[in-house]
Amino acid sequence: MTILTALMVGVIFASSVYLMLGRELKGVCMGVFLLGHGANLAIISSSTSPIGRVPPVLTDGVALGQYVDPLPQALILTAIVIGFAVQAFLLTLLVLTWRCSQTLEMDELAQEGVH
Amino acid sequence: MSQHLIILLVVVPMLAGITTIMLHRSKPAQRMAGLFFLILNASIALTALASVYAGADRAGDILVSQMGNWPAPFGISVVVDPLAAIMLATSSIVCLAVFIYCVCQLDDQFAGGYFHPLFHLLMVGVQWSFITGDLFNLFVAFEIMLMASYAMFCVGTTRPQMRQAYKYVLLNLIASTMFVTCAGWLYGQLGTLNMADMARLALAGEIPDNAIPVIAMLLLVFGIKTAIFPLWYWLPDTYHTLPAAVAGLFAGLLTKVGAYVMIRVFVMIFGTSEAVTQVVAPIILVSAGVTMFLGVLGAVSMNTVRRILSIHIISQVGYIIMGIGLAITAGVVFENRVLAVAGAIFFIIHNMVVKCCLFLCGGLIQQHAGSDDLDKIGGLLRRAPWLATLFIIAALSLAGLPPLSGFFGKWMLIKAGLDGGYYWLVGFAVATSLLTLLSMLKIWGYGFWSPAQGAHVQQPGVHPNTTGGIMAVVMLVVIALGMGLGAQVFADLSKSAAKLLVDPRPYIAAVLGEDRLPSNPAPEQITSRPADDRFAVVTPVVPLGDSSLIHDHHKVTR
Repeated sequence: MTILTALMVGVIFASSVYLMLGRELKGVCMGVFLLGHGANLAIISSSTSPIGRVPPVLTDGVALGQYVDPLPQALILTAIVIGFAVQAFLLTLLVLTWRCSQTLEMDELAQEGVH
Repeated sequence: MSQHLIILLVVVPMLAGITTIMLHRSKPAQRMAGLFFLILNASIALTALASVYAGADRAGDILVSQMGNWPAPFGISVVVDPLAAIMLATSSIVCLAVFIYCVCQLDDQFAGGYFHPLFHLLMVGVQWSFITGDLFNLFVAFEIMLMASYAMFCVGTTRPQMRQAYKYVLLNLIASTMFVTCAGWLYGQLGTLNMADMARLALAGEIPDNAIPVIAMLLLVFGIKTAIFPLWYWLPDTYHTLPAAVAGLFAGLLTKVGAYVMIRVFVMIFGTSEAVTQVVAPIILVSAGVTMFLGVLGAVSMNTVRRILSIHIISQVGYIIMGIGLAITAGVVFENRVLAVAGAIFFIIHNMVVKCCLFLCGGLIQQHAGSDDLDKIGGLLRRAPWLATLFIIAALSLAGLPPLSGFFGKWMLIKAGLDGGYYWLVGFAVATSLLTLLSMLKIWGYGFWSPAQGAHVQQPGVHPNTTGGIMAVVMLVVIALGMGLGAQVFADLSKSAAKLLVDPRPYIAAVLGEDRLPSNPAPEQITSRPADDRFAVVTPVVPLGDSSLIHDHHKVTR
């Protein structure tokens, strides 16, 4: 289960880096969103594999070591919420950059910065 | 001051942000509310500084408050130790000065109804990152600060700004994503995210080997935020497009938060763990030397006031990183580590004040002369003698002329470098200092001393109203002069803060409790034993109330 998660995280990070090295700013932004999702998935491996474990609700007769650790899940929720706000901002910035520069090609945008 | 009041340092700017959002239709109301809350904030920060240093031997107490009264390390700790107190005091005063400048100099049309809330929310993030005692809470504070800075970056939406905004946002977003990944992985490997608990693990030598790459990745994350070599590419293109007031705020606060976090993580938390420092310290040292030198070469080559000052941020940060690197390298004596960290802390405070002051001066230059391109302006010495005086004091302070503040910061760092035997690094530091002087004289020569040209020549009758801006600059210059002429006081403050960082046992005892300290005196095992045994024995702490698991009253005196 952890190996599967690790492979998934690898695939997601690789795709996001591929997107971030792309030609248009739209692709770069999608790459950043995907990077955030990959990071959220990567943290889940910090709570051990849930196979054979009990959900973290206090129940009689269940030893402490058998609960799934809920803290990484709380961390991921926070990260998701922050990522959500960031994505909203980045999309707005995309629109504003288009309005200002009339292009979203990374090469042309980079040219504008050089004076 | 009761330690539970330290959370006010986050609550007050947040209240300011909310109030100014509700008042967004009326600029004067926003200004008055903002001024009230900023003065309240500054007074709370100064009170915290006074109460941290109120102990008889001025060694520095640590104020700890547990959020929700959940015991550390399970709950989130909010800690004001001497370093945090110093940073909070400086940042609140710098913020107040920038606010006065913004209110008086920024055009009404320019800053829309939401400039003030963003300003205060930025302060929430900055101050929260100084007082938090938990790594993930630090991530949240960083995100608040960065989101506010992304939005402030776009305030005014001039064309040059919008062209660079996406660079600033994207690179910082990548750094934030890496931060959250590292925090999650560190929790999985160390079992805790509480800074004091991680410091306890490092002290006891219990950092597992597989955590070391993750900690090195943290170096990458904070390096991007601090703009050290080779992660500095986002800064030269982006900061110079900002209006002077916003640039002053960013220069004075944002990169310095990154530097503060590097001191906290790499000196206090992981500095006692040899496994970590032998990987991280050489990188930091080399990066410091290159950052300092290449940064200042970049600054000297520029022709606009804002560009010169922006790239200077990088080379000044290089000095701070030099202090950090010297403090965690193997084979350095304990007193030398303390001196290196003290130099870094002194340098951060000096730099926050002086850099912000220089950016505000740059803004005033632009108001007088119509542009800040050095080829097009000149002769401001006759036109604005007050501005010229304040500028030259701040500029020479940055360059490091005695008896101004920059000299003492650089002296402490260079002495630590010479005692440690890092002559090449000291050579870079001295060369950087000379080139810094050159770049400051470039602005002075072209802007103030040369034959008059620019908007003030073409329209000699038009005098821009700069009294507010001058007041803000005077405030900062007075503090910078105080730091230079009264350097002993600030150096002592920095040294006592540095002692608590290089030897984190009082911090661990204050947050986690006396009984959780590891028994080995690790900082002295790596270096030579200091002359007196004060650091080998931890003074016992008297907990107030019953000795239950919940420790919420901890003042440690050493």
